[in-house]
Amino acid sequence: MAKTTSRKKKPATSQAGESATNGTAAANGTAVRKSRRRSDAKSMAANQKEISVSEFFAKNRHLLGFDNPRKALLTTVKEAVDNSLDACEEAGILPEIWVHIQQTGNGRYKVGIQDNGPGILKKQIPLIFGKLLYGSKFHRLRQSRGQQGIGISAAGMYGVQTTGKPVKIISKVSPRKPAHYYEIQIDTKKNEPKILNGRGDGVDIPPGEKGAKVIEKHGIEWVDQRHGTRVTIELEAKFVRGRGSVDEYLQQTAIANPHITLHYVDPEDYEYEYNRSADVLPPEPKEIKPHPYGVEVGRLAQMIEESDPMSISEFLRSKFSRVTPAVARKLCEGAKVKPRVGVRKLDRTHADAIFQAIQTTKISPPATDCICPIGEDLILKGLHQVVPGEFYAAATRPPSVYRGNPFQIEVGLAYGGSAPTQNVTMDLLIELLEETDTRTVRQFLIHTFNGLGGEGADKIVKAAALKTRQAPSGLKPKERERLFDAMKNINVAEGQQMEVMRYANRVPLQFQQAACAVTQTVVGTNWRGYGLSQSRGALPKGPVSIMVHIASVWVPFTSESKEAIASYPEIQKEIRLGLQAVGRKLGMFLRRRMKVRQQSDRREIFMRYLKEVSGAVSSINGVGQDDLYEELLKVAKKVTADADMKLDDRGRPIEEDPKELDLGDNVLIVDPAEHEAAINRVEKVDEGEEEEYEEE
Amino acid sequence: MAKKRPVRPTANKAPVKLSTRDKKTLSSITGLADGVVKAAKGRRDPYVDIPSRTLSNVRYSARKRIIEMGNSKNRRQLFDLSQAKAYMRTMLVASGCKQLIDQGKTTSLRGMFYMLKHTIEKTKENTFDDQNECDTIIEDVEVLLDSIREELHLYAENRGAMVGNITVIDRGDTIDCSRMGSGGYAIPSIVEPEVIQLDRKKCDAKFILHVEKGTVWQRFNEDRFWETHNCILTHGAGQPPRGVRRLLHRMHNELKLPVYCVLDNDPWGYYIYSVLKQGSINLAFESQRMAIPDAKYLGLRSIDFDRCDLSDSVKISLSDSDKKRAKQIAKYPWFEKKRPWQTEIQRMLKNDFKLEVESLISKDISYVTEVYVPERLEAQDWLD
Repeated sequence: MAKTTSRKKKPATSQAGESATNGTAAANGTAVRKSRRRSDAKSMAANQKEISVSEFFAKNRHLLGFDNPRKALLTTVKEAVDNSLDACEEAGILPEIWVHIQQTGNGRYKVGIQDNGPGILKKQIPLIFGKLLYGSKFHRLRQSRGQQGIGISAAGMYGVQTTGKPVKIISKVSPRKPAHYYEIQIDTKKNEPKILNGRGDGVDIPPGEKGAKVIEKHGIEWVDQRHGTRVTIELEAKFVRGRGSVDEYLQQTAIANPHITLHYVDPEDYEYEYNRSADVLPPEPKEIKPHPYGVEVGRLAQMIEESDPMSISEFLRSKFSRVTPAVARKLCEGAKVKPRVGVRKLDRTHADAIFQAIQTTKISPPATDCICPIGEDLILKGLHQVVPGEFYAAATRPPSVYRGNPFQIEVGLAYGGSAPTQNVTMDLLIELLEETDTRTVRQFLIHTFNGLGGEGADKIVKAAALKTRQAPSGLKPKERERLFDAMKNINVAEGQQMEVMRYANRVPLQFQQAACAVTQTVVGTNWRGYGLSQSRGALPKGPVSIMVHIASVWVPFTSESKEAIASYPEIQKEIRLGLQAVGRKLGMFLRRRMKVRQQSDRREIFMRYLKEVSGAVSSINGVGQDDLYEELLKVAKKVTADADMKLDDRGRPIEEDPKELDLGDNVLIVDPAEHEAAINRVEKVDEGEEEEYEEE
Repeated sequence: MAKKRPVRPTANKAPVKLSTRDKKTLSSITGLADGVVKAAKGRRDPYVDIPSRTLSNVRYSARKRIIEMGNSKNRRQLFDLSQAKAYMRTMLVASGCKQLIDQGKTTSLRGMFYMLKHTIEKTKENTFDDQNECDTIIEDVEVLLDSIREELHLYAENRGAMVGNITVIDRGDTIDCSRMGSGGYAIPSIVEPEVIQLDRKKCDAKFILHVEKGTVWQRFNEDRFWETHNCILTHGAGQPPRGVRRLLHRMHNELKLPVYCVLDNDPWGYYIYSVLKQGSINLAFESQRMAIPDAKYLGLRSIDFDRCDLSDSVKISLSDSDKKRAKQIAKYPWFEKKRPWQTEIQRMLKNDFKLEVESLISKDISYVTEVYVPERLEAQDWLD
């Protein structure tokens, strides 16, 4: 008890002084005793140990996009599909992907993703799927979807953690060789794979008939292919539709990758097929060396430290792109370092000086042939295939450079098409109404149908004569019908917002829209000049979809979760120029259409008033009303001669064929009447289903 | 086509006897219609040139001391997308007026609106959607045909009242304005000689006192001000309508009575005075018949707050738009060169408050009729 009292008396001294000065403690004599310390360096050291990367990410799974069950599902599919596409493209195979999501229990889903890629060597399989930070993409500067080598193994780890079920992998390298089948768990302590089947060695499935039987016996799914990989993960998840959903991700992926074929079966057994519209693989991206402008001082110092022995001048020339002997000499001069001096003799201060010299020396921009854009043609094809509309335009900007990293911007635009609300079938609407967790019909409409906006939802609710606060789940059949009719009949295009699809290296970005440089630039561009209405600081309105793709060897994301692109001025400028290029074409298209419409409108207005005028005049001076009308009609025809040209012999206005419009290349105009497949897809139940989700 | 038949008012059941003025108006309406037929025959675009009723097209005649309309005109074409509808409406109004004249009847502006309002054949569009659209077209037709509203057999709602030592004949009825009780004689919208006859012999009044609104007028009437001072008392319910202005003009000119105005001390009051004296921009074409360049401004003045020793509570502070308006009015050419008016307006701006005539009630209920106005008249203290 005495000790406690004394502690109370002198709290300031004992606590503040303790760790800093042992002397004070000693001087205080017995009042503050050594035993008061809770622990000492020695005992603490016993608890200090290495944290394995897998343990870290198991605890911090939100960093990798596993914040909630809904996002976990998306991230899992996304990582697997991205890996498959990267593998196929690297091997030069036209990708074909199968995605199958099944519900296995309450809040549990089994996700299977298969590709027709080159397959994986037996000994590599456990490492790739069962070890975090194992991959081929991290150490090279080259355009690819994945970057770290963390995604798929993290997905597997999440699955194991939440359901206890192992990750199942089948991989086949050649039709004659056996396929390998593994069931893996990641050992989070060691960040090592643990193979469960075949006594820790995996199982080989023989090719041909025999193999098929084995597969059937194990209850594994496998679409028979000459080669390829299938990964199956069971995880705790939530399947939803709408924004940020798997549906949306796959649709957007199909747009940006017109060379892939995608088969998708969702948990409700709807099948979706995205067929490739291009039979050519994108050119293989080249790997490049870093450009001096893109290197930070710490990284430079590290490179110098790790380098093999060589002269500094040689080091600069060989480790960086665009450093010619002349440039190397200039850099050394600027840093006051002799060009012949060996790298081993340089220290941090030298590295700092060289770094400063780099900033002040003019170095030609990096080669940009290492980037492979989608290409205007394929963007048009991709958009046309997936987004209904009547006008498509695309623009690929020439490559540019930010902070020494080459990048390239591509923009695609689709205009027109019916609103997502108009594409729904009654059955689907009922389903949607059942599965939604929104409280009111208005909310349901806004959340389910992207781009609809509050205004459009209000219009629909009003037209359906529903109460504002009515719950979507409690609708009576009659009310449902009214809602359905209202959705079909209301033209929501006026209040509809532009939909912005963002891509980085062909991967759709679905979250943090507002933080992204793309969205900010779209908002900052003046669309009014291009015939769209736009409020200040908001996305333009109208039935428009915009896709913006940034291809780069290193895409600058705002955070590790790879959800938004950072706002470098160089990038924003390129995006703006791209948007303006497609915007101009849209403007021309809309203006032309408006003009044709105006001419016939004009004629109509005159006709409308002529009767009134001739009636009034006749009542004043008694001339024959019909005679005067005829006369005036002749004048009207003369005056509106140009509109006249566009009237057919029955006097009906003909919409001028907009295809005659010369908009230059990279524009696709579709007659909306003939484009039913794109607009009213829902009628083809299997295929169309997701469209209206994705569109939203 | 278009064989012109002679206009036959006989088409109506009861033939109406047309006055010479009506005949003149009719012929200009017919001229308008003939123009359309002629243009149509010549395959030309029919149009009408309407003198423009805007500030840019009025000027102040220093000699006549009234606002006059300039010569600029706006062309209204049938085959112009933005004007087609207005053109059609112009023709409709013209035909409507023709109908009224033919039948010898008059109607209100609102009546005309209903007469012409209908849905255009095969559309959902109305010829007119609200009365304002119709009213402006009527004013257009007035200037276009150079005939005033009365000649088109149109009238507005009665507004304004009169009492005093005068007897007028209104549509044959003799009206003794000194025996009008508390309500007064409602000044009709049309006060042309065909309707109202004035007689010098039947007027004892020596001057006209025009006040801004009914409430003040009521005060003067109740105190029998017109009796004690032998005058005519009128009000125009704010901005005086055409009927009131025209009647004041006629009494001023035909009976040689001076006109004095008692208005609020605010930009609005100044403007009412300006309209009475010089005419308005919108109706500049009627200034000749309505403006009274000799009208005098008796009060309230911006010095009255101090002069009459009013209490602070009656102040109403000036709004931003008041200040803006006051500065605008100070720049009107007919005020610009008058030192007293400039001092008056500057003083009000300096005061930074306005005064209503009713504020004098704070002194005494009848202060305005028993002290204020008699004193001003006595001292001949007014602004011109």
